[in-house]
Amino acid sequence: MMNRRIKETLIKYLFFLFALVSVIVLGLIVFSLFREGLPIFQHTPVWDFLFGMEWYPTYDPPSFGIFPLIVGSVIVTLLAAVIAVPLGLLAAIYISEIAPKAVKEILKSVIELLAGLPSVVLGFFGMVVVAPWLQDTFDLPTGLNIVNASAILAIMAIPTISSISEDALYSVPREFKEASYALGATKFETIAKVIVPAALSGISTAIMLGMARAIGETMVVLMVAGGAAAIPESLFDSVRPMPASIAAEMGETPYRSPHYHALFATGMVLFFMTLAFNLIADYVSHKFKQTGSATL
Amino acid sequence: MDSNIIIDLKNVNFYYGQTRALSNISMTFRKNKVTALIGPSGCGKSTLLRLLNRMNDLIDGTRVEGEILYEDQNIYAPDVDPVEIRRKIGMVFQKPNPFPKTIYNNISYGPKLTGVPVDDMNALVEQSLKQAVLWDEVKDILNQSAMNLSGGQQQRLCIARALAMKPDILLMDEPTSALDPISTAKIEELIEELKKDYTIIIVTHNMQQAARISDETAFFYLGNLVEYNKTEKIFTKPDVKQTEDYITGRFG
Amino acid sequence: MNGKALRSNTMRWRYFKQYVFFTLVRGSAALITLALGGLIFYIVYHGISAISWEFITQPPTHAMTKGGIMPAIIGTIYLTFGAIAVGLPLGIASAIYLTEYAKQGRIVRFLKVGINCLAGVPSVVFGLFGLGFFVIFLGFGSSILAGSLTLGFLILPTIIGASEEALKAVPQTFREASLSLGVSKWQTTYRIVLPNALPGILTGSILGIGRAAGETAPIMFTAAAYFTAKLPGSVFDEVMALPYHIYVLATAGTNIEATRPIQFGTVLVLVAVVLGIDLIAIVIRGYMRRNKRW
Repeated sequence: MMNRRIKETLIKYLFFLFALVSVIVLGLIVFSLFREGLPIFQHTPVWDFLFGMEWYPTYDPPSFGIFPLIVGSVIVTLLAAVIAVPLGLLAAIYISEIAPKAVKEILKSVIELLAGLPSVVLGFFGMVVVAPWLQDTFDLPTGLNIVNASAILAIMAIPTISSISEDALYSVPREFKEASYALGATKFETIAKVIVPAALSGISTAIMLGMARAIGETMVVLMVAGGAAAIPESLFDSVRPMPASIAAEMGETPYRSPHYHALFATGMVLFFMTLAFNLIADYVSHKFKQTGSATL
Repeated sequence: MDSNIIIDLKNVNFYYGQTRALSNISMTFRKNKVTALIGPSGCGKSTLLRLLNRMNDLIDGTRVEGEILYEDQNIYAPDVDPVEIRRKIGMVFQKPNPFPKTIYNNISYGPKLTGVPVDDMNALVEQSLKQAVLWDEVKDILNQSAMNLSGGQQQRLCIARALAMKPDILLMDEPTSALDPISTAKIEELIEELKKDYTIIIVTHNMQQAARISDETAFFYLGNLVEYNKTEKIFTKPDVKQTEDYITGRFG
Repeated sequence: MNGKALRSNTMRWRYFKQYVFFTLVRGSAALITLALGGLIFYIVYHGISAISWEFITQPPTHAMTKGGIMPAIIGTIYLTFGAIAVGLPLGIASAIYLTEYAKQGRIVRFLKVGINCLAGVPSVVFGLFGLGFFVIFLGFGSSILAGSLTLGFLILPTIIGASEEALKAVPQTFREASLSLGVSKWQTTYRIVLPNALPGILTGSILGIGRAAGETAPIMFTAAAYFTAKLPGSVFDEVMALPYHIYVLATAGTNIEATRPIQFGTVLVLVAVVLGIDLIAIVIRGYMRRNKRW
């Protein structure tokens, strides 16, 4: 009968190996990025790479300063968050606290479908519909700019923010709400002063993950942000966020040229920025875990 | 050693993490008897029951000290396979928990998967259902889902499922607490019937039930075995004041 | 008198604030619904005229300014099934370890952080990883194989999450009943837990599968071809794919304005495929929840 116990133990370790695959892949991602990206630093020092103002990868001699790309990524992400956070959060409050049951189910499906829309479709929409409209309405040289990209990115971030916030709001213990109502608070006061504060860690996680989604999103910024690798002066200027630069240029780059390495190194920067967002989100959600009434 | 003794606990302590749930329990269970474990909620009676077929292994962070001898073998010895133990010691749970399968497959599931050689599965299913006094009610619907049965029927099905493994001992964890009085009466009759062939250890909250069906009764309080004796003695002239207070309903 | 009037004024003010807030909240929900509805309507309105039997069954002609999108549809089907073949077994197995075998503690925490981080990796970085690792390091070249592996790992966290949720929803009493009969852990998992969790695992995973069908950046450098009229002969061939085809036509085609109808048609096909998959999952899940027996 030892036979079966050995078999059971083997099965357990086999499943452990499967579960380890995600971590291994994460490791391989880092490995691949480093292997293909690090050589650029023999060409351009790290400091000049990160903070160089000039991204002229195809000039002779080329210059690989990705600071304008980083600024582009950060600015479209921040503006997208400005749009998506209130909308996503309010929608989450509506779904979890106010909507009648039928509306709630429909709205949850709507948000799920919105999350399912392929990014290239949203990018296409931004190019074909939003850009001409912006150009005509505000009399701009181009409609492919920060505002356009941010608005489309916001659509992509809303489902993440809304669904995770909704989970957090939903898990606020009922006693809190009842206690608040029993004291004569209105529904709005209960939501604003009891429910939202109690769900704050979950909401913060939602915002971090929504922003991580926005900063890493590629097709939208590739198609809609305009592509100018310069520090923007107004919100109607074009930018070239990091993912756009990688996606646009990788296809035309000779294998293992400095430019190729520079794009992988840009991928490293992008990877570590999103990793930071994710680790912060993970930390916040564990550190301030809602575990019912006992935590307050 | 008395050949009538089937399980022998020696200085058993049990911990959930840092909390001690059972303190220094020593007791024996006798063959072909019904032993009732009684006591207020959280006294450790269910924990003790689940120790006997190593179901507590499933809970993270638990620890056992002492020895539990089943047919002179310590079931917590390192070379013992809990799976093997559970084949000999069946269990019926508080809430009926049939699998979402047909009635037939609920019964045949255990023997089939544990590789017990069965000449005639149909006969085994019939025999088990008859033992559990369910055969007449379900013989025409063996291929229907067990989920369609009533609660009382489901519980008898669970008993039949355990009997199909031909265990030596049947552990019952408040088997009637989720059932109506009529179903409860049926199960109690069944237990009377089963004790001819099986050793039964039953946890119950219901004093009358313990008094009606058991030969011996053990009273637990705060993880300690307070009193263990013939049922008749426990319910008429208990030695310990606490036992009397509990039985007469003064606490618990 | 005065006090009463004052109090009711305060109340009125409090309810006014609530009214304003509720309007905002409803407005946001309406705006989001409108955005999805408007988008879908716009795509259908402009795309429907391009759809025909030829469009779906013929390859592009005249330097992709005419003809259909059949190779892109086929390519997307291959890549999606490839991604499922990679992601689904790995995802289910990972979830089985996490819910059935692992004891809560550091190892589980470590695995979960890893899975969360993998879920957060940008799609273009997945593309770089696929290029650096599968295409170059392992020498698969730009191919269905490299693209499927990249997409499979991209959807792995989604499938793990869906599977974990479905496995946790199987009542603990089923496991106890099986184990108490002396059935081993693996057999209990395989015979009782997995069959009962499978519908939930599949519907949850479908949402990840829709994502695999719609992603562009991960396949740009790993699998997608600008144009091939012939269908792939092996997993080492490049393929066209719907999302990449849209991108190419919209940004780098030979005549961007003239091919607008084809672009809209392709967008419509992609949206129909992806949202169709998602919608089926959502409907099945709703049905399952209503008919839950345990």
